[in-house]
Amino acid sequence: MLKIKFLISIITFSSLLFGTSIIKNQSRELEKNIYNLSKKINLIEKDLNESQLDFSYLTSPSILENKIELIDHQDYITMNYSKIFPSLLTFINFKNSIAIKDNYNEEKIKKK
Amino acid sequence: MKKKLKKNKNFNPDQRSFFFEDYLETNKRNKSSEKNNYFQDRIYILFFLFFSLIFIFSVRILHVSLNKIEIFNKEKSIHKFTLLRRDIVDRNGVLISRNIKSFHAAINPKLIVNNNNFIIKLKLNFPDLDIEEIKKKLDRGKYFYLKKRISQNDKEKLWSLGEKGIIFEPFQSRVYTHSSLFSHVIGQVDYDNYGISGVEKFFDKELKDKKLLKTPLKLTLDANVQYLVSKELSIALKTFKAPGGGALLMNVENGEILSLVSLPDFDINIRAKLADKKYINKITKGVYELGSIFKTFTIALALDNDIVKPETLIKNIPKSIKCSRYNISDIKDFPKNLSVEDILVRSSNIGTLLIARMIGEEKYKKFLNDTNLQKNPDIELEEVGNPIKFDWNKCKLETVSYGHGITTTPLQAATVYGILSNGGHMIKPKLSNNEEKTLRERIISEKTSRDINNILRKVVTDDNGTAHLADKEGYNVGGKTGTSQNYKNKNESLNTFISVFPTQKPKYVLLVMLENPQVPENLIYNYKGVKIKAFRNEAGWNSVYVAGKIIEKIGPILAIKSKDFNADLYVAEKIN
Repeated sequence: MLKIKFLISIITFSSLLFGTSIIKNQSRELEKNIYNLSKKINLIEKDLNESQLDFSYLTSPSILENKIELIDHQDYITMNYSKIFPSLLTFINFKNSIAIKDNYNEEKIKKK
Repeated sequence: MKKKLKKNKNFNPDQRSFFFEDYLETNKRNKSSEKNNYFQDRIYILFFLFFSLIFIFSVRILHVSLNKIEIFNKEKSIHKFTLLRRDIVDRNGVLISRNIKSFHAAINPKLIVNNNNFIIKLKLNFPDLDIEEIKKKLDRGKYFYLKKRISQNDKEKLWSLGEKGIIFEPFQSRVYTHSSLFSHVIGQVDYDNYGISGVEKFFDKELKDKKLLKTPLKLTLDANVQYLVSKELSIALKTFKAPGGGALLMNVENGEILSLVSLPDFDINIRAKLADKKYINKITKGVYELGSIFKTFTIALALDNDIVKPETLIKNIPKSIKCSRYNISDIKDFPKNLSVEDILVRSSNIGTLLIARMIGEEKYKKFLNDTNLQKNPDIELEEVGNPIKFDWNKCKLETVSYGHGITTTPLQAATVYGILSNGGHMIKPKLSNNEEKTLRERIISEKTSRDINNILRKVVTDDNGTAHLADKEGYNVGGKTGTSQNYKNKNESLNTFISVFPTQKPKYVLLVMLENPQVPENLIYNYKGVKIKAFRNEAGWNSVYVAGKIIEKIGPILAIKSKDFNADLYVAEKIN
């Protein structure tokens, strides 16, 4: 009876031991893979950080302006006045004033 | 006897014979049995011990299996780069500052094989280094830094020398992608990543918060607007030969600062000791007598207290007034009778002084107190100026009314203009984009605010106004000029223009300040449709001109981002 119990416990222990070692080995493989992947991620993150920095530097207004001056030889037509309005209301008012002026001129022409 | 026998348990009455027990055998058997028991106990103990060991191992194995054990220490992996400080971005998410991995070049003299050879190599590759000093340090034999915060190029050069004794010590340094653009706002950090100035110092704790390391600190500043303001101001310094200047753009509704420029500036990527006062943040730390800028406050106070109305005529305004030992006069001859509105439009010292007398000292003091004009500016920067305190002695009210004998920072003056134009609500200038709601304490009535906005607009549009050069079509700019003399040198002036736009419902306040500007030689103004050369030196001829230029440039950016717009509507038009 004692022998049977002893045997059962040894078998259980051994099987658990083997099972654990197999699982541990597999998890170790996984850990290795995770490590390698995280290493790659870190490198990519580092590259991303550097790219973001480069992007931020290269697209900073002063650099862009210098590059435009160097590379782009097209002449842009400047607007006499700013035609972009701070609010819709000012735009409508501006449009209305032009329309009133036009109407007034048309009436004048008609009268003549 | 029988009774005794009956009591005996082993007594058998039917027994016919006697059995003789061999005690020798029994003792032997007993001994053997005891021995067996003894061995059995040992086995049990051993079994118990083994069982305990198995149990302990099983528990440990279970523990190991369930717990995640770091086989590779990722934190210490050379590839891992853990930030020590959060990024700083502008209101649109544009990167302003970030930590990167940098290196100090150090020397371990014990590992240098041939000192002379090494010195020659250094001399050839780094002619700027103090070779004599390095020689001494090498002879001392102690570990020392050759160069701190080396560039990638220098690192490669040192690497190529092939010396074992050169050690590259990694550390995290802060990089500012816009170099000098935000120099006065962002500030710097030391080698240990502690903020030593500007936002870096003020938000040091938040920037190092480990829980928020991946979330950048968002500022209210706009990199594009800041660049345009800075560029126009730099051009202005050259045009007007001014040694310094400053500009500030603030949202009048919530106090968000979109641009803060102080010139001359400096590259914050380079660690240098800047002892010269010209490098101070003129907007927050500079304390100045801003002159006629204060007239707006006097008129607003008089209107708010129902002492006068914009059209109220102030009659018989004298040419000059003797107040204590001062003789106060206007720089130009103005009509004898001027409306309150005209007094501000024409910037009359005497007219404003007379109105201030109607207001009285107590109310004026209360206004200055309510608007924090005489307190330290409340902003998220360490570099703030302290307005000079003064006694309200004889004639103080009169001089203060037109901005003389009172000092404040340009930031505070611009904030009060924001308050006057936003409907009269208190605002707190801010640089961080937090959502905290501020108490909207009322300083002046909405009606007064409307009246002030109308008058400020007239300062720009009226023929007698002092700020015609800032009249940019589409932006309805209003504002007030201020020209004051330097206390120490009367020949030096400080020209300021504080504008609000669009005056129908102001959204932004823009302050432009130039230190001692000169009459430009080659500049041709478009003054009321006529091309003229500059001949005067007041704020209306320089600061106003610069403000107009800035508004022209930043206006479209601000307009595009305005919530009033519907993206489908046509809001831009090209004429020529």
